[in-house]
Amino acid sequence: MIIVGMADCAVAKNPAKITTLGLGSCVGIALYDKSTCVGGIVHIMLPSTEQSRSKDNVAKFADTGIPFLLERMIEEGAYRHRTIAKIAGGASMFSFNGSNKLNIGERNIDATKKMLTELKIPIIAEDTGKNYGRTIVLDTESGEFTVKSALKGINIY
Amino acid sequence: MKYEMLELNDFQISALREIVNIGVGNAVTSLSKMIGKEIRIEVPRLNVELIEKVPDISGGADAIVSGVIMHVTGDVEGYIIMMLSEETTINICKTINGSKNTDIMDPLNQSLIEELGNILAGSYVSSLSDFLMLNVKTSPPMQTFDMLGAIIDHILIEMSQKAESALLFDTSFMIEGTRMDGMFLTLLDPSSMEVILERIDQMV
Repeated sequence: MIIVGMADCAVAKNPAKITTLGLGSCVGIALYDKSTCVGGIVHIMLPSTEQSRSKDNVAKFADTGIPFLLERMIEEGAYRHRTIAKIAGGASMFSFNGSNKLNIGERNIDATKKMLTELKIPIIAEDTGKNYGRTIVLDTESGEFTVKSALKGINIY
Repeated sequence: MKYEMLELNDFQISALREIVNIGVGNAVTSLSKMIGKEIRIEVPRLNVELIEKVPDISGGADAIVSGVIMHVTGDVEGYIIMMLSEETTINICKTINGSKNTDIMDPLNQSLIEELGNILAGSYVSSLSDFLMLNVKTSPPMQTFDMLGAIIDHILIEMSQKAESALLFDTSFMIEGTRMDGMFLTLLDPSSMEVILERIDQMV
């Protein structure tokens, strides 16, 4: 099992499982190409590089992290036009979140969808929003995308 | 330049550690009085860490914990997070309300944990602010039971907009007899750290 940390990304070929743990307002984007069994996950924290002082880590942002992940998958042999996306996360854990923190989860989801649309990658599964954390696992053999939560059980997409 | 934010000297490190120790000590004394049991705390650890690494070093992003979060505002800005393992939460609920109701999702137990966090963080913050002569306020506590990473990531997201690394103190405590794991995490804005370090330097 390959573990992708916060603001991190990983690509793997079958047989391998990739996971990222405890997504709250962050979004986990899994890309997968069934024909070559190449898959990858990026765990983004913010919608775009504009929101941060430091831009060193491309995997931190939706607008740079997703294209970066796609590039790396293509390097591993994935076909761009066969790649699909499954996304999870973007919750708002607490209802208080006043001021500019307002719904960072939602903004992350919006930015993720916008970037995937721009890259012409279809989103075929989505488990986002609400108010609980998620752990995701991508199986590169089948493309199966498992979303686990603390209290709401397991969903497989 | 990984840690561009802070370079602490030995004196500052030990002063900070001591201050946090006093704060946590006071907080735990309140808890100890409340539940009538002796509580031991460990010497706080002080870390400057890349923000993305915080979940890993505080127990793993997928650890399921009961978390209470309070926002600190005023002369210094940051967050105080108390995290208790499921077992500890149940044990504390049992000890305090004496009942067999150990469902963490029960509203009564949730507000109990929230209040517990409030007392702990309240005494922690007031001892810090007294010591350093700072004017600070804490927000009402917010409690949830979920994965550690999910509980704190919006805080880390907020901090990552201002800085790359965060200073964090963490302390574990144990309640007599049973080994109970609790963790107290203090995350401060980089600018707030400067304020605190200035105060420390003035004390010399």
